Amino acid sequence: MTTRICTSAVIHAPIDKVWTKVRDFNNLPEWHPKFSRSHIEGGLPSDRVGCVRNFDIAGGGGTIRERLLALSDTEHYFRYCILTSPLPVEDYVAQLTLYPVTTDNTTFGIWIAECKVTDGDEAGLIDAVGNGTFGKAFEVLNEFFGKQVRGPQA
Amino acid sequence: MANVYRSAVIDAPADKVWALVRDFNGLPKWHPAIGKSEIEAGLTGDRVGCVRRLTLKEDGGLLRETLLSLSDAGRTLTYNILVSPMPVANYVATMRVTPITVGNKSFAEWWAEFDVTSGSEQAQVSDIGDNVFVAGFAAMNRKLAGKGARP
Repeated sequence: MTTRICTSAVIHAPIDKVWTKVRDFNNLPEWHPKFSRSHIEGGLPSDRVGCVRNFDIAGGGGTIRERLLALSDTEHYFRYCILTSPLPVEDYVAQLTLYPVTTDNTTFGIWIAECKVTDGDEAGLIDAVGNGTFGKAFEVLNEFFGKQVRGPQA
Repeated sequence: MANVYRSAVIDAPADKVWALVRDFNGLPKWHPAIGKSEIEAGLTGDRVGCVRRLTLKEDGGLLRETLLSLSDAGRTLTYNILVSPMPVANYVATMRVTPITVGNKSFAEWWAEFDVTSGSEQAQVSDIGDNVFVAGFAAMNRKLAGKGARP
């Protein structure tokens, strides 16, 4: 049975700024506090579709390897799958897509994952990924751009 | 071929916004430009292929539009224009409603492709984008904002 995890949010910044921040497949730990250290295996550039990122869950949570399956600068999405990870999942494929909110020049982000849960705790995985990873990502992006808007004095 | 795309956050859950959007005969209930709507040939507004006959509030202008697709799973509706007072041809438009899970609101999109048959293409794009689509989003927010967002 396939489990679907979907988290979406408004990010209060123009789509080009948000996309520039998130499109680098090697850069997740730089802005997401749940992760640390990342490199692209084989010395490939991070926008080479097919490349594999190798990064850690912060605080000794283990290493995740993910392959970039698709990257679109016109439609503002990237898609990837998990190759190896400590998570209780199989056949995990995820995609982050950004859309412009034209009426106020902000961004709608939607992050969807599909996988099989291997330890029976579907609710636990949905919370860990849907809130802990995806929801947290939108939260820290809003904090980042909020600080940019308000400036360093705020 | 001209393209126009507009999107907005609607301050109501996706099911409420979709209920409004999916009613192909319901535009006068929420869109400020539309005075009357009826479905031709006695069909219901959720029959794909049905034709709605719209009367503009301002000048009584007539539009006839066909429902081309309706998806409750994707919260997406597509229609074309058969007859209208606008200088457009081959007009196909889509509306889509997507849940914003953080905050329980909705992301609404409305886009169209068409040929402009006379006058400025850019003016026609702005007119449809702002006076039809964005005006529609504003009206949705006036009708739905805050309703149902809390238990």
